[in-house]
Amino acid sequence: MRLRDRLHDLVLLCLCLGMGWWLWEGVAAIDDPEYIIGPAAYYLVNTAKETGAVNVVAAILFDYRGIDTLGEATVIYTTVCGVAMLFSKSKYKKSSAGLSFIARRGISFVVPFLFMYGSAIILMGHLSPGGGFQGGAVFATITILFCIVFGSSFEASRISPKTKETIESLGGLLFVFIGGVGLLAGAGFLANTAAGFPRGQVGNFLSAGTIPLLNVAVGMKVGAGLSTIFYSMVKVLDLEFNEQLTEVMDNDKN
Amino acid sequence: MIKISYATAIFVFCVGLYTILSKRNLFKTVIGLTIMEAGALMLIVTAGYVHGGVPPLIPIEGQAVNPLPHAFTLTAIVIGASDVALALALVIKVHRRYGTVDLDKIRGLKE
Amino acid sequence: MTLVLAVVFPLSCAFLIPLLHLYGGALLRKFLPVMGLGTLALTLAAALSGFNDYALSFFGGWPARLGVVFVVDSLSSIFLILVAFGSGISLLYSYDRMGTGPWRFYVIFFLLQASMNGVLLTGDLFNMFVFYEIFSLTAYLLVSYSLTWQAVEAGLKYLVMGTVGAFFILLGAAYAFIANKTLNMAALAVSLPQIPKATLVVIAACMVVGLSLKAGAFPFHFWLPDAHSSALTAVSALLSGVVIKVSVYALIRISLLFFGDPLPTVFDVITALGVISLLGGHLMAFKQQDIKRLLAYSTVAQIGYIMIGAGMGTAMGIGAALFHSVNHMLMKSGLFMTAGHLAEEMKTRNISHMRGLFAHRKGLVLAFTVLAAAIVGVPPLNGFMSKWYLVMASVEKGNLLAALSLVFGTVISASYYLRVLHAFYAPGDGPKKYKDPRCPLAVAVVLSGCCVVLGLLPFFYPIGDIFAEVGAKALDVKNYVAAVLLQ
Repeated sequence: MRLRDRLHDLVLLCLCLGMGWWLWEGVAAIDDPEYIIGPAAYYLVNTAKETGAVNVVAAILFDYRGIDTLGEATVIYTTVCGVAMLFSKSKYKKSSAGLSFIARRGISFVVPFLFMYGSAIILMGHLSPGGGFQGGAVFATITILFCIVFGSSFEASRISPKTKETIESLGGLLFVFIGGVGLLAGAGFLANTAAGFPRGQVGNFLSAGTIPLLNVAVGMKVGAGLSTIFYSMVKVLDLEFNEQLTEVMDNDKN
Repeated sequence: MIKISYATAIFVFCVGLYTILSKRNLFKTVIGLTIMEAGALMLIVTAGYVHGGVPPLIPIEGQAVNPLPHAFTLTAIVIGASDVALALALVIKVHRRYGTVDLDKIRGLKE
Repeated sequence: MTLVLAVVFPLSCAFLIPLLHLYGGALLRKFLPVMGLGTLALTLAAALSGFNDYALSFFGGWPARLGVVFVVDSLSSIFLILVAFGSGISLLYSYDRMGTGPWRFYVIFFLLQASMNGVLLTGDLFNMFVFYEIFSLTAYLLVSYSLTWQAVEAGLKYLVMGTVGAFFILLGAAYAFIANKTLNMAALAVSLPQIPKATLVVIAACMVVGLSLKAGAFPFHFWLPDAHSSALTAVSALLSGVVIKVSVYALIRISLLFFGDPLPTVFDVITALGVISLLGGHLMAFKQQDIKRLLAYSTVAQIGYIMIGAGMGTAMGIGAALFHSVNHMLMKSGLFMTAGHLAEEMKTRNISHMRGLFAHRKGLVLAFTVLAAAIVGVPPLNGFMSKWYLVMASVEKGNLLAALSLVFGTVISASYYLRVLHAFYAPGDGPKKYKDPRCPLAVAVVLSGCCVVLGLLPFFYPIGDIFAEVGAKALDVKNYVAAVLLQ
């Protein structure tokens, strides 16, 4: 059995490397141009005067191709809804104990700086690399740290799962609402300066029209969402395996 | 030097595919999904590189790299992470029933 | 504007439902029919706006080469009508079964609707990948919704295989970007013929493999029987009838736009995959004892029929494939709903134990008979019409192997559907537990009525010509490119 499995794995490996060779042939045939062609050239030249943002990637994500970002935020929303649904019937019997006194005190010093860091990443997404997704992940990390250091019941009592759900839905609705303003103004869904949002001075904090607002909406959604995913998975793992098995058998009886 | 990056990205993609197809442990299958996604995204980011390029932040001194792959990669990383999160949630539920994540012992996923 | 609303309205409904559930419990029951009807109306409006001429919608006011564009042409509008009708029926059935208690189900349902409309409407390759991933994730979640162990395992297998397919599509898109530095479908249709042959072959192979994994063609179908059989009844009908067709649309659109002229062997590969799926699906269905797995393998075979039609590459072939997609949605939704309801009542899915149903549930068994006759291909019904067009298209192209396998497949499917009907009509005890059959009966009667009407329609009205014209417009790449890029 071992030899047959090993042979099987060897054949698979040869097939995968053969596929890799064929993929390499596909990419080796293309020469690299010396300069940038396509829409990227347009973006690099015209972003400052059309959108007012400094970060060209943020302008692409939230202005030129904003509907992709709405789709991406929806992917997170779907995953959060699904994970919450998969673990909805299990309740934690006892919370984890958390870490020692030194860890708790240390975290209490660090958390305010983490808040500032996350907010800065979100709000200055149009000025420097960053944006809603990255800042939202930092906010989710704060709640995850609470879970680990203080125990999951403490974290649930500070920010209840219902509040997280509300924040997430409100973030999504805010994104759609900002897009709808553009639609009503006749310039197309998710239009930025064409719909009348103020362009501002390039490099200022208050500039680039809708981009800071969309960053805030996405940050709310991603932060609440990732936090909900972690909490849903952690509340199951607090049990030992034998207790989980009795819980499974109770669920099967119902 | 871009060719070496392309070769690495393709190699990582194939390693990911091999991991998914041949490993018997469900967690390793999920790790293979992550590796495969990383390979495909490395390929698309390398496509935007220009020799001697600077990050695409205005004001641009010299030649900036192509910002479009950066936007695609940010989106695709989030999508891949969501897929993996859902896969891990399902693996946890399967583990709760069988007590193991070894594919040989789990009947339903055999064929 | 309806194009944008067809995606944004279901999306905002999905964002709104948790707030309604948390802060106003009874409001959900009032708003849900409004949301469902609104989505149906907007999807149909989007379909009709583009049926004769191209309808476009630019996001943010940016032209097509800079931003994302939504395009409706007659190919998209046929699939939009299919999606609207199929998901409307499923929503009605699940609302009747479950009420508004499981609110997360409706959130996932509306997200599925929004993303299917997005895939069908978009004109940008990366945007299609994003919407494709949303609808795949919702499909995985709907499969494991019932939280039985079978459903969770089926959902995991579907997820792993579906995500591998998605990454192949992403790899194909990455190669297209490397070659052309743009990902707008019309711009790619213009510039793909000029890239080196090796790269074009890689893009084609990655796309075909990825999309066949998602659509359930034969060498990659291993997730389909488990997923479609262990889901809830309304979800099985939705998955087999509607969700698979969106993958087929993506395959048809990408192969026609990108590989129509420069690489015609892609169409031969698609036809070959179709023939293998047909034979494999029918042969595997022949030895099944579980009725829902039998219907799921039958879906694999019918996808083979559609792929044979799409792989012909002629206007008549594509028109026949579209006609068969519409018919299959009607027939398979009806079959799954009827069989699922009967299986729930008999508390078993084993065919030989489902006896004596004719005496107790005449209406449902008669509707099942009509639908089974339609899917086998008995003459005056719609299945026969679309298979006839498929055979004529493959004979016209000269592909006799496909025509012979179509006929052979019909014979095998007749044998296993007869086995099911034999069990239903045999004498025996009826269902032990009675559930209210009014809604499934109404749905089944409507669907079998549609089958009869669509079967008789070609005698009075040239339906085949309408579909062939849609196929011809889909083949017309130059008009598509001109409509999108020259706005």
